[in-house]
Amino acid sequence: MKIKRILIANRGEIAIRIMKTARLMKIETVAVKTAAEPNAMYLSYADFIFDNTEDNSEVPVFLDIEKLIAIALQMEANAVHPGYGFLAENAYFAQKCIDNKIIFIGPSPDAIYKMGNKTIARNLALKNKIPMAMGSQGNIANEEEAVKMAEKIGYPVIIKAASGGGGRGMRIVRKQDEMEKMFSIASKEAEKSFNDPSVFIEKYIENPKHIEFQILGDTKGNVIHLGERECSIQRKHQKLLEEAPSSALDDKLRKKMGSMAIQIAKAVNYYSAGTVEFLLDSEKNFYFMEMNTRIQVEHPVTEEITGIDLIEQQIRIANGEALKFRQEDIKLTGWAIECRINAEDVQAGFAPDPGKIESLSMPTDACVRVDTGVQRGSSIVPSYDSMIAKLIVKGKDRKDALKNTKMALDKVWIKGTKTTLPFFRMLVRHPKFQNGNFTTAFIEKDLEKFYYNSEYEEMLAAWLAIKLFVEENLSDDSISVDYKNGKELNPWLLNKRISQF
Amino acid sequence: MANDKLQKKKLYALSSENRQFSFNLPLKHSIKIGKREYDVKLKADEKLGTYILWKNRKYPVEIVKSRQNKYEILFNDISYTFTVETPFSLQRMKVLTAGKGKATTEYVKAPMPGKIIDILVREGSTVQRGEAVVILEAMKMQNEILSPVNGTIVKISARPGTNVMKDDLLVEIKP
Repeated sequence: MKIKRILIANRGEIAIRIMKTARLMKIETVAVKTAAEPNAMYLSYADFIFDNTEDNSEVPVFLDIEKLIAIALQMEANAVHPGYGFLAENAYFAQKCIDNKIIFIGPSPDAIYKMGNKTIARNLALKNKIPMAMGSQGNIANEEEAVKMAEKIGYPVIIKAASGGGGRGMRIVRKQDEMEKMFSIASKEAEKSFNDPSVFIEKYIENPKHIEFQILGDTKGNVIHLGERECSIQRKHQKLLEEAPSSALDDKLRKKMGSMAIQIAKAVNYYSAGTVEFLLDSEKNFYFMEMNTRIQVEHPVTEEITGIDLIEQQIRIANGEALKFRQEDIKLTGWAIECRINAEDVQAGFAPDPGKIESLSMPTDACVRVDTGVQRGSSIVPSYDSMIAKLIVKGKDRKDALKNTKMALDKVWIKGTKTTLPFFRMLVRHPKFQNGNFTTAFIEKDLEKFYYNSEYEEMLAAWLAIKLFVEENLSDDSISVDYKNGKELNPWLLNKRISQF
Repeated sequence: MANDKLQKKKLYALSSENRQFSFNLPLKHSIKIGKREYDVKLKADEKLGTYILWKNRKYPVEIVKSRQNKYEILFNDISYTFTVETPFSLQRMKVLTAGKGKATTEYVKAPMPGKIIDILVREGSTVQRGEAVVILEAMKMQNEILSPVNGTIVKISARPGTNVMKDDLLVEIKP
């Protein structure tokens, strides 16, 4: 193994995730201690810590290319793992590592650059005949031109105002005979709203599912896929729950989409782990969206159904090794679901709720894997993301995985911040989620309530409110004490967070 | 004040969504559901912090805010806001706000928009606090709407199969 010591250019759960695998491979790790979270849990997993707490720079160290290179050199790390986010998809950083004879654990700078540039990526997909949602290059002058364009890209299409936004001037056209009417409505509406009647046409993808394929490629030119993940449960493009495989795919479609994913990866001589994202419509047509050139947050669901450690593969590929398996060796077994437990207030539109984790307990069942970067006493700080833990649950099929997830969610115990747990408790009980019949619009369209509470929970909360009132106002009310199973306590002493006013 | 003291045999927790829960004083560490009485225990330990033990399950609780008679409680990761009222203050409040109707009648309202699936009571029948009176389907889930009081059903406004809006009157119960 050429790679002896890896600088982890990241924090939180992904830093721990990488260091766990590095340890199994007997590779040393270096973590960076920051002023934002000097007591973070990930630091305890590293063999060496670079103390960067004195750094007064405005730029967080995980975004500071020069600094990270300097740290790697000083700490004698001969490889860097960027994790996800931060500099994970920065071609310049990857190149800088190479220039300094540091192995970048990820794809080539060229692949990062090409896939990161929308125009280049689209042109590559076009050249490789990967299905894409097409659009008119410029404005459409009249109905005849609109009909021609729509025929070229295929119905349904959407007419959009060139100067528009917010839904005005937008019209969905499903058939050719609707075009004339819709075109004139859209154009008039555009003129009225934006003083500009010009419109353009795009493919309209109806109720799509977000399906992405996990890719692994080596430096010898071998590229395989490890099946798909379904990430349709998202809110404002933030994924909340992912699963693998997807209930929308059968073997035939999987093979077809998988080979397209491999093809687009090969177009940039891709190596390392990567993800090709598609939209899948209700007619099972799929459209290439983009390729992510990094390890993804949701990679564990793929690991759980393939038995392959993706971080290990990334390291081996970066080390110059050839893939040990071919496409036909990849078997998808069982079903895995990942819930992103974030410090967010679901009752307040998923607003971040940073704070200190006062207590934390996670299920230890065999079907549950928890990837986390926090423990009791840790803080979810506003400077980073709101993730507390990824709850990854396995089952022999989707139904079994759902059942296990429901059970696991009831066993998670987090105090100190509000969490997305009530959202997931609702989700696993929702018939549309249960039957797999959901799209990226699910949260927006199908949900009236974002959380679940069992029938007596509010009454019990009311009982507690009454108890508090009684303790404060009617002090002659006696308090019984149960010493056997934890002390029964005066509620007025129980909470340090009672506000000061 | 004197009046309050005389009447403090009962306290009400009024939720921000106008659901009402009543409790007799002295406050028991149990809640009656139908005919059975279930223990409610408020506890704390080193590992879990404060929790409520109910039907063999532990629920995390936290007091987020308390101000006079207003409490925000985090129960199993969900926040609830209540004002605690005595029968006297409740009556005064009802006279001030609602105006119409007898202050003693409980108005059970739809907590969310949805469809009435079933009415489990009849006019004239008696109900226990916590007993389900209406089944309301919302978000494709069936929700039991519980009686906030022990009493007699005086009027049923909800009809099975119909859709209701949030805060639509479902059932009137005379305690």
